[in-house]
Amino acid sequence: MPEILINGQKFEAEAGQTVLEAARAAGIFVPTFCWHPQLSTAGNCRMCLVEVEGRGLDIACNMPVSAGMRVLTDSPEVRAHRRAILQFITLNHPVDCGICDKAGECSLQDYHYAYNGEASISAEPKVRSTKYYNLSSRILLDNERCILCLRCTRFTHEISKSMALGVESRGDVSVIRPVADRPLGDDPYSDNIVDLCPVGALQSRQFLHKTRVWYLEPTPSVCPGCARGCSVNIWHRKPEWHVKTLDPAQNQSIARVTPLENPAVNGPWICNKGRDLARIFERRRATEPMLQGSPVALETALERARELIGAARHPLALVSNWGSNEELDAFQRSLGAVFTAYVKSDSVPQPGERLEDELLIRADKNPNSAAARALYADAPARLPEGTDLVLVWGEGCDFGALPRGARLIFLNAYLAPENGHADVFLPTSVQTERDGHYTNFQGVISGFHACFAKPSGALDAEALFRSLAAPARVHA
Amino acid sequence: MSKQPHVRRRYWNEPSMGWWERAYVFEVGRGLGITGGVFLRNMWKWITGRKGALTTYYPEEKRADYAPANRGKHLLTQRPDGRPQCVACNMCATVCPAQCIEIDAAFDPDDASHPKYPARFEIDYSRCVFCGLCVEACPEDAIRMAPETPDLPGFDRDRMWVGRDELLSWNPQRDVAKPYPVARDAGPPR
Repeated sequence: MPEILINGQKFEAEAGQTVLEAARAAGIFVPTFCWHPQLSTAGNCRMCLVEVEGRGLDIACNMPVSAGMRVLTDSPEVRAHRRAILQFITLNHPVDCGICDKAGECSLQDYHYAYNGEASISAEPKVRSTKYYNLSSRILLDNERCILCLRCTRFTHEISKSMALGVESRGDVSVIRPVADRPLGDDPYSDNIVDLCPVGALQSRQFLHKTRVWYLEPTPSVCPGCARGCSVNIWHRKPEWHVKTLDPAQNQSIARVTPLENPAVNGPWICNKGRDLARIFERRRATEPMLQGSPVALETALERARELIGAARHPLALVSNWGSNEELDAFQRSLGAVFTAYVKSDSVPQPGERLEDELLIRADKNPNSAAARALYADAPARLPEGTDLVLVWGEGCDFGALPRGARLIFLNAYLAPENGHADVFLPTSVQTERDGHYTNFQGVISGFHACFAKPSGALDAEALFRSLAAPARVHA
Repeated sequence: MSKQPHVRRRYWNEPSMGWWERAYVFEVGRGLGITGGVFLRNMWKWITGRKGALTTYYPEEKRADYAPANRGKHLLTQRPDGRPQCVACNMCATVCPAQCIEIDAAFDPDDASHPKYPARFEIDYSRCVFCGLCVEACPEDAIRMAPETPDLPGFDRDRMWVGRDELLSWNPQRDVAKPYPVARDAGPPR
């Protein structure tokens, strides 16, 4: 355990650590562009320069600690060099923060205000480069904004292993370019480079000019895309910035999804499917309880469902593996004794979707199979004959395979033609409208929180199960 | 805690009334005389075809003597080709203390020098406080305020939004203080 001095304070560093890691562990911030804890050290941005007494300036990210080292992270000389480096980095940077989606969470912006603060001293015209280079159907590259930190290329080489990006040419005309026969579009983790980019050079097409980031707030959530259950932040408009005359859907929609660092599950990454949660949750919603296709009041529908449950001799339930631990528990407590329950898979892999890999993606495309299977067995291919009532919770049910003549109670959040065929249809809430927990395939439990209000008419499945078991009033 | 009796505050210019004022009727009569005199004088001028009172018959009639620096209606300045100078950066909307500006940005990759532009630009005049911070915050000299007031009267607060095209059509200003860089050819998006 070498002991080092940072800014005159003694710290215990671990052998093999770099000065940067030791300083960050000690709570001393050293600015960086190219360094990332999960990537290899490139040492090309020079932003993390520190002074070692007796040895002069060097980059902290690539300097191993040695005993008795005396490091200064904020000496006048370090400050002068940081200013010079920021001047250098902004030599050809267009400084078009006004139209850049990174503005507000950009390292270059933050460091400029913290360590430089003065306009460019260069009188030379800036080097012009490609503005909107199509890296893939998801990502645009602005080469003028790029500071060539190479985080994106290192990500594709070391983490996603798609090797899709490289650097072309040299000097001030060098640019990030895709490798000819390895399209970035085939990399299911490509959108991570948008978050990794310390400036606004890599832009997500989904989020392009959608809104400014300071209008948004993140709500911690869990990606339901597969059994990994990655922790994510769902970004949506802050209540004080709700729009009043523009499309009100903006107030209730997912602006973007970013990874929420969780070392136990996903580290700092998520796959592209996790970025597209809006495609799952922002489908058209079912909001009216129905009896065989005709809308009725909620009480009437619940009364009819209770009648059916009371009259059934062999009731069977297909339980959703998109239900949260709380909902599964509510089902087991309220209706577990009445129904013979099986786990149904709500979602199956889509054609073209990556099935499984060693980084994050799992073959089971449902978030809570582990908790559901802890309670019930998987649904058999042929459901038992003689069943006279089926309760189907969630999507992904093959209605043709249900026993003939059985009555059907259907709980679904989305508009679907099957909703009208059920004897009783009850609309439910989706994940972004309630709190809960999922258990992933490793047994790690992660929680999600409500981002939006439920549409009027939709109900939490938890409340529905309780009221189906006992005739208590539920409120929509 | 004992309750303090209320003591009326005394002011230095407290009015004092003599017996004449206390008699009430005379002073009230004098007040009516002043009001009636002004009314009759104005009416006489009106009948004889001269304008008497300073009242402006808004909105049919608008005063013409606003100070040049008066902060009235907003203008979106135009580029030489008539498109808005605005880059939809939302600085005005962010700084606005009344939060009455809402902008929908759009993307035009073919216009290399102006790829982001406002598809919608809405100002709610029922909430605008005419502070002018939007004009100060604008990095592109895209929004200004004309001395004239906007057409405020309406019957519904929710319909006092004025949109991009109306803001642009108001007295377009072509002499932008910040000349826009000449469009350059960045090549088609690949």
